[in-house]
Amino acid sequence: MQGPGRIAPGLLTDAQRPLGFRFDRQLMQGMAGDTLASALLANGRRLVGRSFKYHRPRGIVTAGPEEPCALVDVIGADGREPNHLATTLTLYQGLVAESQNRWPSLGFDVMALNDLIARFLPAGFYYKTFMTPGWAWERLYEPLIRRAAGLGRLDAMVGEQAAPAETVHDHADVLVVGAGVAGLTAAHRLGASGLRVLLVDQDAVLGGGALLDARWTDWRETTCSALIGLGKVRCLPRTTVLGAYGHGVFGALETLAGAEAAGLGGLRERLRIIRARRVIFATGALERLIAFPGNDLPGVMLAGAALGYLRRYGVAVGRQPAFFLNTDQAYEAVFALAAAGIERAGVIDVRSGSLAAQRARALGIDVHEGAVVEAVMGRGGVASVRVANRDGSHRREFEADCLLMSGGYCPTTALASQLGAALKWQQAIAAFTPDLSPTIGRVAGAARGVFGLAAAARNGEAAARVIAAELGHAALAAGLDLALPPDPQATPIGALWEVRARGKAFVDLQNDVTAADVRLAQREGYEHVEHMKRYTTHGMATDQGRIGGLVGSAVLAQARGLALSEVGQPKPRPYSQPVPFAALAGGEVRQHLKPKRRVPLHDWHEAAGAAFVATGLWMRPLVYSQQSGWEAVLREARAVRRSVGITDVSTLGKIDVQGADAAKFLDFIYANTFSTLAVARSRYGIMLREDGMVLDDGTTSRLAHHHFLVTTTTANAAVVLEHMEFHLQAVCPQFDVLLSDVGDQWAQFAIAGPRSREVVAAVVADLDLSSEAFPFMAAGAATIAGVAGRVFRISFSGELAYELAVPGRHGLKVWLAVLEAGRPFGIEPYGLDALNTLRIEKGHVTGAEINGNTSAADLGFQRLPKQQGDFIGRALSQRAGLCAPDRLQLVGVRPLDRARRLRNGAHLVAPKARTTSLGYVTSSTPSVELPGWVGLALLAGGRQRYGERLLASSPIHHESTEIEIVSPHMIDPENVRVRA
Amino acid sequence: MPGKAAGLRLETSASDIIEIAALRGRARDLDRIALGHGVQLPPLGRALVATDHLTLCVRPERWLVLTPPASAGASAAVWQAVCAGLGAVLDLSSGLSALELAGPDAREVLVRSCRIDLDPQAFPVGAACATIMAQVPVTLVALASGVLLLTPASTARHFHQWLVSTSRCLGFVPPSHPDDATVSGDEPS
Repeated sequence: MQGPGRIAPGLLTDAQRPLGFRFDRQLMQGMAGDTLASALLANGRRLVGRSFKYHRPRGIVTAGPEEPCALVDVIGADGREPNHLATTLTLYQGLVAESQNRWPSLGFDVMALNDLIARFLPAGFYYKTFMTPGWAWERLYEPLIRRAAGLGRLDAMVGEQAAPAETVHDHADVLVVGAGVAGLTAAHRLGASGLRVLLVDQDAVLGGGALLDARWTDWRETTCSALIGLGKVRCLPRTTVLGAYGHGVFGALETLAGAEAAGLGGLRERLRIIRARRVIFATGALERLIAFPGNDLPGVMLAGAALGYLRRYGVAVGRQPAFFLNTDQAYEAVFALAAAGIERAGVIDVRSGSLAAQRARALGIDVHEGAVVEAVMGRGGVASVRVANRDGSHRREFEADCLLMSGGYCPTTALASQLGAALKWQQAIAAFTPDLSPTIGRVAGAARGVFGLAAAARNGEAAARVIAAELGHAALAAGLDLALPPDPQATPIGALWEVRARGKAFVDLQNDVTAADVRLAQREGYEHVEHMKRYTTHGMATDQGRIGGLVGSAVLAQARGLALSEVGQPKPRPYSQPVPFAALAGGEVRQHLKPKRRVPLHDWHEAAGAAFVATGLWMRPLVYSQQSGWEAVLREARAVRRSVGITDVSTLGKIDVQGADAAKFLDFIYANTFSTLAVARSRYGIMLREDGMVLDDGTTSRLAHHHFLVTTTTANAAVVLEHMEFHLQAVCPQFDVLLSDVGDQWAQFAIAGPRSREVVAAVVADLDLSSEAFPFMAAGAATIAGVAGRVFRISFSGELAYELAVPGRHGLKVWLAVLEAGRPFGIEPYGLDALNTLRIEKGHVTGAEINGNTSAADLGFQRLPKQQGDFIGRALSQRAGLCAPDRLQLVGVRPLDRARRLRNGAHLVAPKARTTSLGYVTSSTPSVELPGWVGLALLAGGRQRYGERLLASSPIHHESTEIEIVSPHMIDPENVRVRA
Repeated sequence: MPGKAAGLRLETSASDIIEIAALRGRARDLDRIALGHGVQLPPLGRALVATDHLTLCVRPERWLVLTPPASAGASAAVWQAVCAGLGAVLDLSSGLSALELAGPDAREVLVRSCRIDLDPQAFPVGAACATIMAQVPVTLVALASGVLLLTPASTARHFHQWLVSTSRCLGFVPPSHPDDATVSGDEPS
């Protein structure tokens, strides 16, 4: 036996496997199968933390994920992680945990001063206290409050292997949430009837309440064995359903057991996204607290938790427990501890004459009937309790080292509520139960207020039978025919929410919310339960107020003079328990954070020393050099201007448009006309959004009478396809048009420069490339280096240029052939930076100018939209505001001092009005054709300002450069070169 | 080059792929013509395997036809002639990459990203669907030998790396992509 609290063998613990661990640097010993909480209790540890606001000493209150107080930091190889629940944290050898929210030590916490000045710190105090001066909130008050508040300390988890997690998608006919008696029965019956069943439970072992009653051991073991034998049932222990999202979708968090985690590289969590046709919520009921002065003192805990620690871990939570109860069910803890030989200080039963009290008396246990606990006394832990009759008479006090309370049981309704289930008040159990739509599933067992294990089993079976029938599996297989241990007869609950006496009576132990706070909220007008919740923060902590939520509502109801059923409970939302971000991210981290799209020649570019840049998801060669600076870029661009270069433009979007109405559809999609385009010709086009702004630009080629190929910018390929698909399906459904994304099919290369014709002619066998036969904007099929492909005479660089398109898997062959053919001319591959230099010199726009705020006229395309016929964006592009002469218009800019550089984003200002921005530089580059830098800019009334001198001001660089405004077409404005 | 590991086999599958899309109201004619040329076009969500080709349908009135590799565009050219006036025929041999994941553990890998129910009861041999996996579009076909996966060529390496990485995490350890020298280096040790 490890520790003074360990008095018996536990159901889950293995005495043969001791485990050493540290808590607040103190070395202790537990057993395999322990949680940190059970091990601490076994070692006699009662004080485990400090409360959130008042820094009051706190102990362990529950034995499960509903725990409000026992939150600890865990210090592992990857750093410190806060807010682990000691009640669910599986003990392992070498575990190092520390208490939270205290300084300098858990025993002596300076901030406990807050408790002494608590009368000045009621709920919402900082809303009222820190009103003035206004500037101080963000700079002073909030930082101080945030520093004082909060639980635990977070270390940055940046290790390569930190917190690996994964996502798994599951499907089932029926999801059964909760593997207590009702859930186990339902899962078995459904599985036996041939349905696919997923049974999940937050506990490490299946059984729920059956684990706490020795009479049910045989039933539990037999049923679990039978489930394993049913191939149709998958059981997932340690799995908590976090949220129910409708349409049969649920999110669940599985915490991996040590052995499995070790086998999967330390994987800790698995986020399961479950899709099921029906659900059975067999989520049980949670014991609730009673609000009385001192109900947060270490040693005050739920009676059911004490029973759990005894049965599961063989741990007695105290040597002289007192009990404060109002149901017969809670007496199970009394009887169990008595059977284990623990001396009782006495039972305080709110009721009189209950059957359970009679049984207790028969065992020689003192029962104070019709009584309540008015106060709990002790420093750092329970030492005695003061009891009085319910009318306040006959006060007495007796010694006890812990107080085990039970205010009744609340069916777990959160998940059903998330699916829209209305909550119905059940007077018999003094709690709400959910009314779930049968089309979603059923609620079974204690979750629907059916208390008693045998009753729950029968209820689970009934739910399974109905669902099986609904899913067409009416022939339910026979049950296991196991005898169900009978439920003892019980006296009804004597509802008690609060004992009003001097002292703080907490309704929310994690957020330090008292019954008085709830009444204050009501007095200040926050009467609705949702308003009270937000004013007081009741139920807003990580435990979501699960053991005190209804108690807060009851206090509010009493304050408002309403029935509790009228006040209700706050609406629960996902997640039902805290979830690590790592679990939500799953495997989509690091190299899998987002996809990389690679062109067919990616490896060639890489081998050629290209630096890559992400354009959307695409990886594009930026420059064929790993050196920073402009030298390599200008070398590449210069090759194009002076001889020939080749660049990979495979990333451009390519949309195949076919059908009898293809031309008509393109006329509608584009601002300009395509129905007049001749076969084997290309045309530049712009398409507008519905609001009249430019969406995208590119060339479209007519390959046959009813067959077009649309090219889009790299970044907008998916947007344009979606835009076209939407208008085809929603606006022009009568059109006979087929749209196909062929972007990945084609590798496409631009060969540009005055020598490009000679290079292309060397690799294209069956096409006359003379200007007469194949003029600017011509398009045609050709055999390129032996590969069937297409040739387009289009130019983005402003030079004579061709684009060659071949199926991607033959791209390398063609690329190498072009390089070989261009070798005598000094051909250079050029990247995106050089392409940018070339297009800026030429005045061609890209995403920097087509930025969602520019109209066709802004970009100099005022004569491009057609005059006749409708097209997307036509009406709104004619708004007065979009035609105003003072709009930002595309211009070219050049520094007057050719040695000065330009900055993208620099504001254009008049020398005498430097604080008034007239526009800004969109793109800039050193020029290979002109001396110094050149840039494009959007300038108010820009086309009327050619020749003006302004300043390009970049305050973040402390630069101001005198510039002149010029035409954006800074080289070859007559387009002589491209037509050469 | 196939690579084998316990419970899992991942192979790249070189195929010519064409897409046949029916023009308005011509799906039945297209179906009949294709059948006359020995190719049965399956209904939506299904795939048919013949000795020399595989056809599948995951978009209404659009079919993919996979055949053994031939010269570039040859298969498309044949079908363009066959389907003239009835539909559009596009060569996607370079646009899509095909992988086959086989073995008893294949499903364990795929459920790490695939939202489609891959249980044999719900996704039997001959079923086909299109979905998103590892953030990229993927078409899945249930074959007797495993699952055929089609993904855009530009994201094929990303998807392959995801399959390899996920398989490694599960202890299946398939070999690296024959075209992908970086797979091993990209993985956490």
